[in-house]
Amino acid sequence: MRVVCVALLLMITAVLAQNQTGVLRLRVRVKLDDASPLRGLPRKRFFLIPGTLEQNRALIDSIERQPLITRDCYYQKLGASAALIDWLKDGDCESVYCRAVEKDFVTGPKAVPEFATAFTASQKEYGNDETARQWLTTNLTPDLRDGFYRDRQRALQALLKQAPAVQSVMTDHNGTAYFTDLGPGSYVLTNLIPTELGQTLVTWNCEVQVKAGDLATEKPYLVSNRKEKLVKCVSVEKPKPVCTAN
Amino acid sequence: MIRIKPFFIFILICVYPCVFAADYSKFSHSTQKHRAACDTCHKIKLPDITDYPDHSACVSCHRPQFFRGARPPICSVCHSKTSPRDEARLPFRNPASNLQFTIEFPHDSHQDVIAMLKFSHAPQNYYSCAVCHGQRTAMFKAVPTGHESCFNCHWKSQQPVADNCNGCHKLATTPYTTKEAPVRISAKFIHDGGGEKKQHVAECTTCHINITKATSLRGLKPDVPITSCTECHNKDGLRQDLSKELVAIDKDRNFTCVYCHAANVGNLDPPTSHYLIAERPPIKRKDIK
Repeated sequence: MRVVCVALLLMITAVLAQNQTGVLRLRVRVKLDDASPLRGLPRKRFFLIPGTLEQNRALIDSIERQPLITRDCYYQKLGASAALIDWLKDGDCESVYCRAVEKDFVTGPKAVPEFATAFTASQKEYGNDETARQWLTTNLTPDLRDGFYRDRQRALQALLKQAPAVQSVMTDHNGTAYFTDLGPGSYVLTNLIPTELGQTLVTWNCEVQVKAGDLATEKPYLVSNRKEKLVKCVSVEKPKPVCTAN
Repeated sequence: MIRIKPFFIFILICVYPCVFAADYSKFSHSTQKHRAACDTCHKIKLPDITDYPDHSACVSCHRPQFFRGARPPICSVCHSKTSPRDEARLPFRNPASNLQFTIEFPHDSHQDVIAMLKFSHAPQNYYSCAVCHGQRTAMFKAVPTGHESCFNCHWKSQQPVADNCNGCHKLATTPYTTKEAPVRISAKFIHDGGGEKKQHVAECTTCHINITKATSLRGLKPDVPITSCTECHNKDGLRQDLSKELVAIDKDRNFTCVYCHAANVGNLDPPTSHYLIAERPPIKRKDIK
């Protein structure tokens, strides 16, 4: 029986060796504070850059040095209402596109002032309430609408210029994502732009070894902001900067 | 020799209109004079552009073709009957005609911005892909076909806006056709299936693991690895749907895998990935005695 198992394993290994690409099964699990349980970090982009940390030193330095404005500070600086800032925060949104604007937020006690104004303009323009609500973002100012997202994209694109042949994936609601069709070798796993997590900014820059193999054989690569069992990549955390006055 | 040349020229003059004359029953956006700003002819209307340009867009240059005979060929570009007494138009755009524009669509950016968009998609209450990809059939999801899907954000201000057609539509080098439906390997999968508990209803990226990588629509594949299926369908103590069919092939090399596949796929050699999942060495049907 043992001989059969060994033969089987050898055959599987031989098959794997023929398959020259590898997979990284990413699992991002974070804690908001020490008392909270680990939970999946949903809807965040991660990047895989060929080479070792040392080979990507210049990029890592740029990531660590980049000035960054938080969502709250960005919108406070714009003079956005507290209701809009809370609405964005509630969905962990970088722009107003990330949540459907429900009726409650257009009229009534929970209404977000910016949405209410845009809704009124849309009613006049589009002629019916439902279209006005669904097309509401067309009557928001560009900065309120997606200025923060565009700011972060600019920072991201500037960093990506230093990193050719990057793969990028977004985590699902469990914090899982897959990098596939990877040539075996060293890579740097990074989120490039710090993720806002509670009162901290979290950055991951870890070196990963990818071996030939496929999903059936690949174990999850656990990423977290806490050094716990099985965690292979721990983040660097910084406190969120205090928002400066206008 | 002297007489041959005029004769040849005479023949050319006779043949030219037949061979080289424009075919006015076909409209091409790549014709130089058709490359003006889109709103020269197309009127952008809320919430979608659903009809062909008016006659005035064509007649300013094509008056002779408009009044040529009882059934002018030029009418057939937009009209289902080439008769001045019948105004019926073909659907816009005409699905029977080749596509002349490609679509530039940054798939990843759209995933980024709508990523947290919440919908009442029980039981998960998330499903941002459904913003664009609704249910087409029990088997397949739909893709956006109208401008309405875009204009709710891109009507104005957010580029590319409604009158910036070129922001999304690029003239293709040659007209082309697209397949009406994607080729499905596991033809029997039902998105809303998975038994009474509807276990197939999951976040799209649970199975479409590469979809968040795509930066455009080119080469976009809804590829699903076998592991997405076998998490339930080939698990010890749960089900052995894959292993059972591999065993059936061992017994009869002409066995058709039918649990997931239609015969066109089910008669092929199972790929290596299937054997890996079943923890067996891969074999070819021809090697089975």
